[in-house]
Amino acid sequence: MLWVDKYRPKTLDQVIVHQDIALNLKKLVTEQDCPHLLFYGSSGSGKKTLIMALLRQVFGPGAEKVKVENRTWKIDAGSRTIDLELTTLSSANHVELSPSDVGFQDRYIVQEIIKEMAKNRPIDTKGKRGYKVLVLNEVDKLSREAQHSLRRTMEKYSTSCRLILCCNSSSKVIEAIRSRCLNVRINAPTEEQIVKVLEFIGKKEGLQLPSGFAARIAEKSNRSLRRAILSFETCRVQQYPFTSNQAIPPMDWEEYVSEIASDIMKEQSPKRLFQVRGKLYELLTNCIPPEIVLKRLLYELLKRLDAELKHEICHWAAYYEHRMRLGQKAIFHLEAFVAKFMSIYKGFLITTFG
Amino acid sequence: MRKKAGVVVLSSDDEDDKPSLSSNRSYAKSKSKPLFTCTNPRPAKKPRLSGSRTRSHFCKESSNVNENGVSFEDFDDLLNGFKVSAGSGRIGTNELWVDKYKPCSVEELAVHKKKVEEIKTWFEKRLRTKDDSSNHVLVITGPAGVGKSATIHVIASHLGARLYEWNTPTPTIWQEHVHNCNSGVRYTSKLDEFENFIDRIRKYGLITPSFTGESRSSIILVIDDLPVTNGRTAFERLQNCLLLLVRSVRIPTAIVVTECEKVDSGDYTPRSFEELQSSLVNAGACKVAFNPITNNSIKKTLLRICRQEQCSLTAEQIDLLAKASGGDIRHAITSLQLVCMNFDRMLNLPSSNSSSNFSKEKADELSASGSGFSMQFGRDETLSLFHALGKFLHNKRETENVTGMDQDAFCVLGKFSRLPFKMDAPEMVLCQAHGQARPVADFLHENVLEFIGEEAMDDASAVASYLGDADLLFASFRGILTRYNEAENVLQSAAASVAVRGVLFGNSQPLPSRWHAIRRPKLWQVEQSAMRNKIELVKNRVAYNGSSLSDVSVIATELAPALKWLGYRSSRGLESRDVSMQGNETEDDSLASLDDEECEISDDDEIEDW
Repeated sequence: MLWVDKYRPKTLDQVIVHQDIALNLKKLVTEQDCPHLLFYGSSGSGKKTLIMALLRQVFGPGAEKVKVENRTWKIDAGSRTIDLELTTLSSANHVELSPSDVGFQDRYIVQEIIKEMAKNRPIDTKGKRGYKVLVLNEVDKLSREAQHSLRRTMEKYSTSCRLILCCNSSSKVIEAIRSRCLNVRINAPTEEQIVKVLEFIGKKEGLQLPSGFAARIAEKSNRSLRRAILSFETCRVQQYPFTSNQAIPPMDWEEYVSEIASDIMKEQSPKRLFQVRGKLYELLTNCIPPEIVLKRLLYELLKRLDAELKHEICHWAAYYEHRMRLGQKAIFHLEAFVAKFMSIYKGFLITTFG
Repeated sequence: MRKKAGVVVLSSDDEDDKPSLSSNRSYAKSKSKPLFTCTNPRPAKKPRLSGSRTRSHFCKESSNVNENGVSFEDFDDLLNGFKVSAGSGRIGTNELWVDKYKPCSVEELAVHKKKVEEIKTWFEKRLRTKDDSSNHVLVITGPAGVGKSATIHVIASHLGARLYEWNTPTPTIWQEHVHNCNSGVRYTSKLDEFENFIDRIRKYGLITPSFTGESRSSIILVIDDLPVTNGRTAFERLQNCLLLLVRSVRIPTAIVVTECEKVDSGDYTPRSFEELQSSLVNAGACKVAFNPITNNSIKKTLLRICRQEQCSLTAEQIDLLAKASGGDIRHAITSLQLVCMNFDRMLNLPSSNSSSNFSKEKADELSASGSGFSMQFGRDETLSLFHALGKFLHNKRETENVTGMDQDAFCVLGKFSRLPFKMDAPEMVLCQAHGQARPVADFLHENVLEFIGEEAMDDASAVASYLGDADLLFASFRGILTRYNEAENVLQSAAASVAVRGVLFGNSQPLPSRWHAIRRPKLWQVEQSAMRNKIELVKNRVAYNGSSLSDVSVIATELAPALKWLGYRSSRGLESRDVSMQGNETEDDSLASLDDEECEISDDDEIEDW
């Protein structure tokens, strides 16, 4: 088991990073009925951990006994029936799923699954009708239609089920949903907090941590706790005992992006652009999200760039990132950004160096 | 007038035939009859073929009455056929001119003299000498409406030979099939019937009891209208069957193959027909390819018809008609009939070809462009997607601005002005290529960089940006497809237009044309393997992360690389995923059903210079 999972806090009391939020959540569910919740925050900040701990708090250890199912939903959409396959993770009291996996048909999932859950409500020990919890991941990636139908079903079935929504950016969730949920913002952990967690894990594993080593990992982790723990573990595998100046292995795709960046800096021509396209394809084939590629690429380019160009390049990166979200095929926009950069940079080189 | 030499008509035939016709109504019986007709009258004892109710039969009937030795395509109405045949052929106004002015003599043929001569000598040789060593099959190919069948018919009558034709049986419609099944008739596919026919011909020749007093030498077998084959296996059966025919037939045989235009790129047929031809030729058949009929010949024919119909068209109009027909004389004649019919209502024919920036040697292209827009009766030209892409990518322009500056023309800044195109409006080219918008954009994206000069980074950037714009338009209506079909279409066209014009405009200094292969977009393959990898990741995500579902992006960017470093579950690492991508490349072609057409085009076609 990965350390990320091994040292994931199981209960709200064990939480190290967001203790205040955990406390509030605990109060919330023990004192009264739980409202719909919307957790948002950057990747690796501990949303999922909190949700799982919260479920355990509500339903007891039974919530951890989950079974994985690949379910097919038959959906009657007017003239035809659609088969949708989706992986769900469910216990007696909750179901977790990522509706955005089915692409633009996500709205059917959202409606259908909630309806079904409403049909068979569990009965709790006191004979009172309890509620089920539906955990929806990546709500920000849901299509507009799906979000709207989610809104309707939320109201209709609020007596029988609670929704816990989880997403990275609440700005991509429609107002209507946001206002129906208790919004819980989970900040990315600070580097000190990360260091604390790493030290905690180090102690549990019985490792000697040289001073400053945990801090270096934390710094490299981009304030993602998951990332930090993963790097920590890879460092452990790579070399132990640790030395304080030990290299922290980067992710392979990041190296690849940095390679692309230096390619771009070295030569600006349509031919090179074509080569870069090939490398971008490689990244996309491996399911690295294009937004992340673009962001990373910008980061790498800025590192190598003259200060006076930085502003303009950032502007164009933002411009093409926006269009990428609106558009369909990411490569068109990624490539357009690279081409724009090459064009600007080439012009810059010519004016500066003749 | 239209009396054929070498055709003997027994006047009793009509009477003989009719009873036989009515007596042979029984369906089952007629189904099993041999399916070739002899256009010469035959004794009535020989049962009539191909279902006495079919139209073709009636037409045959009428042509017999008409004392025509030549069997015509039977597209005139059955009743009409009878009426016309009753009177003298030329007066009936209901007749299509195509039939009315069918060439009756070698001189009237619009086909090139040399070709006619070639075929004539070929047949003469086969008919005169009983030389069994040489092969007896002539394959005549050419586009539709260039007079392939007409030539054979005319030559046959000229040589005094009779024609035996394979008549493609009337297709069985479903209700009929159900009916037949109920009444116990076995269904035989048209291909089966064709095979049987060929088989019989090979084994027994055309020995029918009816040959009395006529020498065997004067028979020509014509296979017009090959059965439609669907799919590879059926096609191979047809091919084998024809090959056998080529190898063993002893009577002069003409196989007429109408070339489908290659541009119907989605279709499998053009290729298979080429294959068929070459295999037949390899087996020893002689091949004669007909070209589209020249403008002058068409004009001559049209003028002749005009004279006989006493309609006055100007030479210019006839010229235009001839050009618009694209070498298809049947089309030209029909158009002429249309024009003459509502001649008074016709506005004067637009003399559309005033666009002066076409160079002289592009005259044929010009005619094509004229036909598309200005006339109701033009044959729409089609282009292969490939050809169209070539046009866009090569981006040929005039060397100078010929049109000059009109007073009302926009003044554009120097850096935005481009020389005029050496082609039609891009939208029109797109329309002719009936390319789908999205694939066109993908193709352009894949290939455009090679057409941009090494130094022209700005151009590349502009092009990339325009393609991005196009992509935005494509995506705009995603998800609400069904309700806004119309809007979708407009958007698609707009997007394609943006993509194409972006490519044309962005590339401000097109490279001098040189050899380029147009590749199939790699993007499609990438999308597929990305999809597969994603599904793989989603399937395995529980394995990564015991008790919760992780986002795909998290798995791809963090968990999977980390696991690779950690060394366990190494099969999930980036490398192994790469390998799987490589491995998938080979099967891609078979998987990519929707892309197959395009991939076929791009695999072996190359453009050099248009």
